Amino acid sequence: MDDYVYQLAAPANFGCGGKICFAARNTGLFRSEDGGQSWQSLYDSLNLAEPLPSMAIGVPPNFERSPRLFAGVAGGILRSLDGGQSWQNSDVPKPPPIVAALAFSPNYENDGMVFAGTMEDGVIFTSNRGDNWVSWNFGLLDLNTLCLGISPAFANDETLFAGVQSGLFRSANGGRAWREVELPVGYEAILSLALSPNFGSDHTLFAGCETQGLLVSRDGGETWQQLGQDVFTDPVNAILLAADFPTNPEMLALHSGMILYSPDGGASWTPWREAELAEAEASALLAPLGFGAGQPVLVGLADGQIIQV
Amino acid sequence: MVKTTEKKKWQQPGVVFQPQVYQSMQRGIKQLVQAIAPTLGPLPRIVASQRNSNSKPELFDDGATIARRIIQLRNREEDMGAMLLRHTLWSLHESAGDGTATAAVLFDNIFDHGVRYITAGGNAMRLRRALESGCQAITEELERQTIRLHGKHELARLAEAISFDPEMGKLMGEIFDIIGEYGRLEIRSGRSLALEREYIEGMYWDGGILSRAMIEDARLGRAQLENPAVLISDLAIQEPQDLLPLLEAALQADVKSLLLVASEVSERALSLVLAKPNRERIQVVAVKSPALHIDARRGALEDLAIITGGRAFHKAAGDTLNSVKAEDLGRARRAWADPYFFGVLGGRGNPKVIRQHIASLRQAFKNLSEADDRKRAQERLGKLIGGAAVLWVGASTPLGVELRKELAERTAEAMRGAIRDGVVPGGGVALLNCRKVIEEKLHTAVEPDERAAYNILRQALEVPARTLAYNAGTDPSTMMGQLALAEPGCGFDIVNQRVVNMAEAGIFDSAAVVKSAIFAAVHGAALALTVDVLIHRANPPESLQTG
Repeated sequence: MDDYVYQLAAPANFGCGGKICFAARNTGLFRSEDGGQSWQSLYDSLNLAEPLPSMAIGVPPNFERSPRLFAGVAGGILRSLDGGQSWQNSDVPKPPPIVAALAFSPNYENDGMVFAGTMEDGVIFTSNRGDNWVSWNFGLLDLNTLCLGISPAFANDETLFAGVQSGLFRSANGGRAWREVELPVGYEAILSLALSPNFGSDHTLFAGCETQGLLVSRDGGETWQQLGQDVFTDPVNAILLAADFPTNPEMLALHSGMILYSPDGGASWTPWREAELAEAEASALLAPLGFGAGQPVLVGLADGQIIQV
Repeated sequence: MVKTTEKKKWQQPGVVFQPQVYQSMQRGIKQLVQAIAPTLGPLPRIVASQRNSNSKPELFDDGATIARRIIQLRNREEDMGAMLLRHTLWSLHESAGDGTATAAVLFDNIFDHGVRYITAGGNAMRLRRALESGCQAITEELERQTIRLHGKHELARLAEAISFDPEMGKLMGEIFDIIGEYGRLEIRSGRSLALEREYIEGMYWDGGILSRAMIEDARLGRAQLENPAVLISDLAIQEPQDLLPLLEAALQADVKSLLLVASEVSERALSLVLAKPNRERIQVVAVKSPALHIDARRGALEDLAIITGGRAFHKAAGDTLNSVKAEDLGRARRAWADPYFFGVLGGRGNPKVIRQHIASLRQAFKNLSEADDRKRAQERLGKLIGGAAVLWVGASTPLGVELRKELAERTAEAMRGAIRDGVVPGGGVALLNCRKVIEEKLHTAVEPDERAAYNILRQALEVPARTLAYNAGTDPSTMMGQLALAEPGCGFDIVNQRVVNMAEAGIFDSAAVVKSAIFAAVHGAALALTVDVLIHRANPPESLQTG
């Protein structure tokens, strides 16, 4: 089976006494204790006959106090209460969904809310830390969910976005109902989303398209601008913003296997760490401490490797 | 019941001229308005109506229904004025769902002052044009005052302001926060005393399962299919062999479950799909084609075809199942059917086509003027948006349930308008705020008829607020005095009897309702003012017959 890194994740205390991180790969789910130097499979306890591809990994914001993990797989969501040593199937709606994205409420410790984007069944969510999941797709007119973006101010604004096969949808009531967001690129697949850490006040979010490049909205999705039209001709699979964006307007975009860097909020773009990543085809990005000078960035590759840059 | 002598008088032909026309119309309008005005505001009074001495009285607090119940006045000339207003109010009710009491008091005031001016020598046609021009300015000013509400709490406050029922307000706020302006809301009689709500995911139509034997889990009371193919039709399937091409096409495409939508499937045909060996190969659930009305059915089948990516087979077009192919079948993630409804979730139609279809229906909805057409289009849109809410309405008596259901219907209609067109400050404040633009027009107007029209409108804009105060037992003049000294944006909170900032207190009215009410009242009264002669026919029109 070909390997591929779909997603990387790390607890909030990465770098502050912890170096744990996780990788959702085509060959399963992996954990590293040393910041990505070495990796151990987390599905050994399941005694699987063949590898279980994992498309999404979710590490709750309070992982260091309660080491739960969620893994999105074809057929549902696996949940671990012990950091990945053992797993249980979550109670998800039938037929079993293919889970492609996971997003936690920033207030997860209190509200226990997790959202999962699925390939055919829209968005399912739990409000009891994964004990059971319900589907809630009022107004979500395309159930092929590719990515989710949740407002850092979710506790107040209850806003989250779902990128789907044919556009973008927004919920302003905690996922209870969805409304279509009008994009200047028509019914385009939205592959990646990044909300500003100050989304609650600056209302800025970025959306990566399949064929139409990168979009930015500075008013919570009401109006949009295309960025780097001369640069982005292929799918934009991931977007990373600086931890203190927009004060520091640096950002990265994963564009067709290549990582591009913008020092100015997306106005201009250049290849990032060209020499180090020349031969690599990137498939996932993670900046556990937020993207910025001197902070580590983990890059998952299309061949299953993970490197720290 | 109209007495025999009066009935005879009613049947006499005749022509009535001024000043009797205005005088009698005024009296007729007043009778209707006096019956409706007490219902305006958060502290309304009730109007009771009784069909005959043996029946229970009906209780109303809704202007439109009260107007509807007054089907004839004793005096034929007075009746003409009352029926003119009645028609205006009912049209308003059909289009906006609310605002009839506001429109009634405005109509009455404008007509009264208009009559006074015309009787003193004014020109009715020029006055009418100026009134309509002033109405346009008021509508634009209301537009400027309009704000949008967001979230269930703001919507709940609006719903409470419309229904004056806190429990209903809270639930309506939550429901409309979820379903939005076009969403599907069914209001049904509940079994308890309280209000309850339920949400149903996906689209569903009326058209129940054709055989209870297809319900595998009797405890659930419904059949459920995973990843079904969907045959969309209004065909009548009589013979088992009619189904063979369909089943063969489905089996060739490796379909394990099939939702069969047809107007009729005979027992013989059903027995084919219910036979155990066949059920093991393919699970078939047959349901009745939705809707009775032919246009509604055609629309429902078209919607189902677009949602599931299938083709609709129409009996009227000569379609049969002989030529059915696997690609004609729609697909969905899930389908269900119970004795009354069937539904699909996760239809596999092209999402772009679905959204284009919704956009075209929305456009069509905006262009529809007939209430029934709008309701049908609204229901179609609600289904397509993918989900529905059901409000179960309970009360202590069957009459109470019916009253509360009517209130819920009205509130829902006004909520849709409010979400679509926003809200304005409530308590009559939005209209009071419009006095300024009318005063500006008054200052620049030169023509006497124009000046008279703006004076009439300026006074009329105070009437809803004054009536609200009067109904609540507050002296209208004292309230107006307090408001004159208040900050901008403030109004009188009738319930708590104090001046408050209306936005902060969450006292709003639906902008669509207020705009519709002022439009209906001004245009209706302006038209009534141009009536100069009444002609009575020998036989009264059918619509005036007592029922």
